[in-house]
Amino acid sequence: MAERTTMLRVDHLRKVYESPRGDVEAIGDLSFTMGAGELVCIVGPSGCGKTTLLKCIAGLLRPSDGVVEMDGVRVTGPTPSMALVFQEYGRSLYPWLTVRSNVELPLRHKKLPRARRDRLIDESLEAVGLAHAAKSHPWQLSGGMQQRVAIARAIAYEPEILIMDEPFAAVDAQTRADLEDLVRDLHRSRGVSILFVTHDIDESVYLGERVLVLSKSPTRVEESLKIDLPDDRDQITTRALPRFTELRTHVYGHIQRAKAR
Amino acid sequence: MSAAARIKTIVANLLFAAGLPVLILVAWNALAKKPDEAVGAEKFYPDPVTVGRAFADNWIGPAFAHEVLPSLYRLGIGIVVSIVAGVAAGTVIGLLPWLRELTEPVLEFFRAIPPPALIPIVMLLLGITDTMKIAVIVSGAVWPILLNTIDGVRATDSIMTETADAFRITRWQRLWYLVLPAASPRIMTGVRTGLSVALILMVISEMFASSSGLGYRIVYFQRNFLIAESWSGIVLLGLTGVLLAAIFGFAERRILRWYHGMLEVERG
Amino acid sequence: MSLRSVPLLRRARKPLLGAAGLLGFLAVWQLIPMLGLIDREYLPYPTDVAARLTQELVDLAFWRRLGLTMQAWAIGLTIASLAALALGAVIGLVPFLRRATHTTVEFLRPIPSVAIVPVAVIIQGISIEAALIITVYASFWQMFVQVLYGVADVDAVARDTARSFGLTMTERLTKLVLPTALPYVMTGLRLAASVALILAITAEMVIGNPGLGTLIMLSRSTPGDAAGLYAFVVVAGLLGVTINAVFRRIERRVLHWHQSIRGEEIL
Repeated sequence: MAERTTMLRVDHLRKVYESPRGDVEAIGDLSFTMGAGELVCIVGPSGCGKTTLLKCIAGLLRPSDGVVEMDGVRVTGPTPSMALVFQEYGRSLYPWLTVRSNVELPLRHKKLPRARRDRLIDESLEAVGLAHAAKSHPWQLSGGMQQRVAIARAIAYEPEILIMDEPFAAVDAQTRADLEDLVRDLHRSRGVSILFVTHDIDESVYLGERVLVLSKSPTRVEESLKIDLPDDRDQITTRALPRFTELRTHVYGHIQRAKAR
Repeated sequence: MSAAARIKTIVANLLFAAGLPVLILVAWNALAKKPDEAVGAEKFYPDPVTVGRAFADNWIGPAFAHEVLPSLYRLGIGIVVSIVAGVAAGTVIGLLPWLRELTEPVLEFFRAIPPPALIPIVMLLLGITDTMKIAVIVSGAVWPILLNTIDGVRATDSIMTETADAFRITRWQRLWYLVLPAASPRIMTGVRTGLSVALILMVISEMFASSSGLGYRIVYFQRNFLIAESWSGIVLLGLTGVLLAAIFGFAERRILRWYHGMLEVERG
Repeated sequence: MSLRSVPLLRRARKPLLGAAGLLGFLAVWQLIPMLGLIDREYLPYPTDVAARLTQELVDLAFWRRLGLTMQAWAIGLTIASLAALALGAVIGLVPFLRRATHTTVEFLRPIPSVAIVPVAVIIQGISIEAALIITVYASFWQMFVQVLYGVADVDAVARDTARSFGLTMTERLTKLVLPTALPYVMTGLRLAASVALILAITAEMVIGNPGLGTLIMLSRSTPGDAAGLYAFVVVAGLLGVTINAVFRRIERRVLHWHQSIRGEEIL
């Protein structure tokens, strides 16, 4: 595989929360880079500051120390080159807007020609298989479908990198498998880079081209593991590969050690 | 459902809706004495036909244009001003935590003043004018709207706000597509309370300071011991209240359609 | 700044800001007549009002009037709450009555209580009874509607469970309906308490039975007594704040076991 140009660089990131009962160090000293077009999964024990990390990367939180750089430019606030998919789809979609308006909202300030905006919305709803539900309201859809809307909203925004924070933690297993395949599809067909946070080891190995294992809080990168599974993956055969089992056992061991420390 | 069953449901609904009101009217009619037969305290409770006639004589026709319409006009202006001012100020205060903490005790105090007590002060400051009557309505109706808006804006879901941040939604779009819709259920609660306060204040302001209008007429009937006419005032204000509630219900169903739909889904 | 003072300052921020807001409000009030924006005759200085207020606070006549208002408030609230509780529970628990009374309630409830004043005065004369009629009428609905909501809120599954276990009527009422409806009843009581105060004072203003409301009307018609008018309105506001705070307190005390997450209505 050709060496990809570095797109996202996180350098010695540190985040301390100040609270009345003393300071809490959520992220200790965290560095990694991500190439253009990569699909990187981040796993770590629960409560290890994954959401904090994502918010720092997305410019929603100011790091206490260290730098986040996107295409060589320091991130100081939310940038148009990133789009977020939250875990709590029910609270991230606006219930008073239709599915279509939810996808459209972030595009309103982009000053796109009307026709292009409409095409972006149609295409992204098509891509997540929800073209038929455009006029519904989010609360009329199942959890999995709501998360598809959130994904459609993110890809219609045309980011360089899609940041997903445990997006499938709240949906049932079957839906989850479908959504995982959707993510891999979008990655391959659209070439969008994806940073995917999960607490599910199998999910990280199945989805990722690379898995970053985090330690527990104060968080740092425990290991960066290349996932050398074939690019064509499917839920049954890929998960049955001996290499899949090896990789997941490897990640599992790391996380156990991270927890114990 | 078969046609017969459907008709049966409609008839049942009709009976449930009209049954008790009709029963009350019939009983009232049977128990009340006609004005010429009534003696002593019986005079105070005229029969519905007499009240209906007094209603027609005093409120329908030119009196409607002279006495009722101007009152309703002031009521309408007062309500619109209260809603606009309450929502605008409430949104600003709700969005700025320091401003909220700064103004909270003062607003709590103003909300707690019984609205009619403010009428003499408004009269003192503005004299007896149309503006004063509208100001009286606003001085009472604005508080529930303002305070509910503050609470609604403040309670905007943190993840919805973060979503708006992450997608760099502009300030005005955020106001229109996030803050106001998110607060709208609370705003409507405030408006509902504001409406009934406004109606009361419209009547009282005219009772104190007017030579025309609904409130003036009602006090006039009382002072001149016009019993059936006084009762007809209750009917008119009841109808006004019902009309106001119906308009509000219509607006609320439109504005909060998403909210009621969502609640229904949540309840399963 | 030491490490410990930061959280202390953060905790004190809210009351400090609130006090600052109150002071700012009084300062603006003082400045408006001082700068001549509004004549002092119409908008007296807050210091004038405060002086007038202290003068009243040592006057027994003032306290007697205040007592009359509170008496009307207490009687009105008690009658309204008990009536609403009884009627609301019966109508709420019997689906037939619920359906049959719906339109009647929807017509009676929006009648503004002041509409009844003339009839009440004609029947009862200028008396506390006339005032009570409108006070009870207005606060009754606050409680009644909450009781209806509360009784209707009983979980269908819980109701079926109770029935399948053969709970008696009394058991079902005390173990199921009462706990479910209690938060609503407490909310209704708080709302009814504020409304009863509003109407007690309004009745005094409109009907003329003695109390705080008549003091307001009296100082209004006394030339040059603007300070008195403002002082009595401030008293009315303080009464409102107190009643609100007390009933909120009671509500919280009674419901401390209840994870009440319902949005509250603000009156």
